[in-house]
Amino acid sequence: MSKYPEYNHDKGREFFDRALKVIPAGIYGHLGPSEGLWIPIQKWPYYSVKAQGSYFWDADGNKYIDYMCAYGPNVLGYNDPDVDAAAKAQLEKGNCTTAPSTIMVECAENLVNTVASADWAFFCKNGSDTTTLAVMSARAHTHKRKIIFLKGYYHGDFQWAQKVDYPGILPEDVCHNLVAPWFDIDALQKLYDENDGDIAGLIAQPYDHGNFKDNEIASREYWQSVRKWCDDHGVVLIFDDVRTGFRLDLAGSDHYYGIKADLICFCKALANGYNMSALCGGEHMKATVSGMTYTGSYWMSAVPFAACIACINKMKALDTPTLFRKLGTQVTEGFKAAAANNGFNLVVSGEPALFYLRIADDDSLMLHQEWIAECVSRGLFLASHHNHFINASLTEDDIKLSVDIAEDAFNVLRKNHPELR
Amino acid sequence: MTDAKTMAYINMYAVLGTLENLCELDFKAKEILSSLTKPVSLAFEVKDGPAATLFFSSKGCRMEDGVNNPDIKIPVSSCEKFNNIIDGKATPVPTKGIAKIGFLLKTFTALTDRLTELMRPSEEALRDRDFFVLSTRLTFYTIAVAISQIANQDAIGKASASYMVDGDISIGIKNCDTATIRVKDHRLVTIKKAPEKPRAIMSFADYDLAAALFGGKVNALEELCRGTVEIHGMASMIDNMNRLLDRVGLYLA
Repeated sequence: MSKYPEYNHDKGREFFDRALKVIPAGIYGHLGPSEGLWIPIQKWPYYSVKAQGSYFWDADGNKYIDYMCAYGPNVLGYNDPDVDAAAKAQLEKGNCTTAPSTIMVECAENLVNTVASADWAFFCKNGSDTTTLAVMSARAHTHKRKIIFLKGYYHGDFQWAQKVDYPGILPEDVCHNLVAPWFDIDALQKLYDENDGDIAGLIAQPYDHGNFKDNEIASREYWQSVRKWCDDHGVVLIFDDVRTGFRLDLAGSDHYYGIKADLICFCKALANGYNMSALCGGEHMKATVSGMTYTGSYWMSAVPFAACIACINKMKALDTPTLFRKLGTQVTEGFKAAAANNGFNLVVSGEPALFYLRIADDDSLMLHQEWIAECVSRGLFLASHHNHFINASLTEDDIKLSVDIAEDAFNVLRKNHPELR
Repeated sequence: MTDAKTMAYINMYAVLGTLENLCELDFKAKEILSSLTKPVSLAFEVKDGPAATLFFSSKGCRMEDGVNNPDIKIPVSSCEKFNNIIDGKATPVPTKGIAKIGFLLKTFTALTDRLTELMRPSEEALRDRDFFVLSTRLTFYTIAVAISQIANQDAIGKASASYMVDGDISIGIKNCDTATIRVKDHRLVTIKKAPEKPRAIMSFADYDLAAALFGGKVNALEELCRGTVEIHGMASMIDNMNRLLDRVGLYLA
C-alpha cells in the first residue's frame, strides 16, 4: 500500500483536451509532454491553477513540491513578497512606455555592480534573445563567421542554435556551427586550424549539463585554459548562464570558475519569474553591441526591471548560491538513501543547485522514467531527463516530505519489479 | 532535398524489401507465388549503389544483401536509372537468366504490381478495412527499413544518426507489427521483428493512427501529447529516429 496515493488528473486532462483543439500540441515546448518527456502522460498534472513558495497546485487540486521551478525562473519561491511588491509598485507607475522608465538604468547599474565581468547590460525577454545577440555581436566584433559550440549544447531554439535535421531548419542556418567535445583544448585548436582561423566566438554553458546523461562539472583550470585560448586566438568567449546564472555565483558563473567571459547571457533567475533577460559584457564589447540592430516590443518594460532589482538584492541578502548548495546536497543525499533502501542505485550529478538524477540500474532509463512518474503522481515534481532547480523558499520540512515521497515511489517501483530482486 | 543514392537504397531495401512481407501477409501474393514450380532468385546490382538478391519460392520471399549467385541478375548503371526502374519509367534488362525472363515478366511483375496497389492505394480501396490494414502493415515495414537507409545514406539523416547512442529501438503498432531499429556506431539496421531488450520504445496506438502518421496527416509529437503515440526509454534515440521518420516522408511522398 502506497503511503502517498496517486493523484487523479481528470480536470487537467479536460483542459488539455480543450487545448489540443486550439493550441498546437496542447502544451508545446519544455513545459509540455513531448519536450518535458511526460512518460506516461497520464501521471503528469498538465496545468497549474496557483503556486506559492516551493509548491504549485493543479486543476484537480493536487499539490506538488516543485523541483523544476518553472525550469529555472522560480529562484526565491513563487509569489515572493518582496519581488512582487516591487513589481506592483512599478506597475502603478508605468510599465510598457514610449520613453523607457528610469528604472532600466537602475537595473543595469545593479547588474554591473553584481556581475563581475559586466560593464554594461542589454535587456531582452528570453534566453534565446541574449544568446542570439551574443553570437551576432561576436561576429560583428571579429568580422568572422564560425561559432564553436561544445557537444550536447543547448542555447535556445532560434534557427542558428538548432541542428540541421530539426524541422524547418536549413543547412544554411547552421553551416557556420562547429562542435567541439568538452574539456579538450586541442580540439578547439584543431577546429581553428581546419577553418583557417575563421572563428568569431565560442559559446558554452558553464559545465556539461546536457540531457539524458550524467552532468559533468568543469574545473577552474579548464575554463582558465579556454579563456587563454580565446585570448590567444581573438575568439569571443560567450558564457551561456541562462540556466545556471545566479545559482552558482551571484557574480556570474564565469566568476565561479575564476575567469571573465567577454559576453554573458542571463535569464531564468534574473527576476523570479518576471519576464526579462540580459546580455552583459566587458567594456571592450560595448561599442560593438551599441551598433547592433536588435530590439523588441517589450524589452524595456519597467515592471520586470523593478522585479529584477528586488530579486538580485534578495538573492544577495540570502546568499542563495551557498543556500542552494546546502539544500541541493541535502535533498539529493536523501534521494540517494531512499533509492539504496529499496535496492536501487540513484546517481546524482551536476551542481547541487541544479542536480541531475539517473537510476543506474538499467541503461534504457525506463526504470528511471517509472520512478519519476511515480514521484510526480504523488506530488513530488521532478523531471525525467533534465537538471532540476532549487529555490530559496525550500525548507527542511519540504525536503523531508520530498525524500519521503521519493522513498514511497521507490517502494512502488521495487514492488512493480520483483525480477530485480 | 533528396538524393538519388539514398532513394536507391530505399527503393532496394525498403520498397523491394517489402515483397518479403507482402508474400507473407497477402493472400493474392501467395496465389501468385503458388504458380512457382521451383525457387527463383533475382538480383539487382546498382553501380555505386545498393545490391541485393530476392529469393522467391512458392512459400514466400526473402531478401539478402549483395549478389548471391542469382538465377537472374540485373545490373543497373546508376542509382538514378534504378530509381526509374522502380518508378516504372525504365525497363530492367537482365544479363543473366534470360531463360527465366518469364518469371520477371509474369510473377515478379504481378507481385510488384500488387505491392504498388497496396502501397499507393486509392481512397476507394482503403474503405475496405482488410485492405486498409494490410496496406498500413506493409507501409509500416517499408518505413521501418527506410529509416535505416536514410540514417546511413542521406546527409541530414547521417546527422540524426550521429546523435544516436547504441542499442535497439522498438518501433511498432501496438499489439501488432513491431520492428527493431538497431543502432551501432551511428549506423542503423532494421530487423523486421521485435527486439528482445529494447533501449527505447515508440509505439503507435492502432492502425488508423499509424496510417495517419505515415500519410503525413498527423504529427508524431502532437500525437505524443495526445497520448496515441507512446515512448519509453532512451528518449534521445526516439527523438532522432523521429527526425529520420520526418525525412522518410520526403523520400516516399
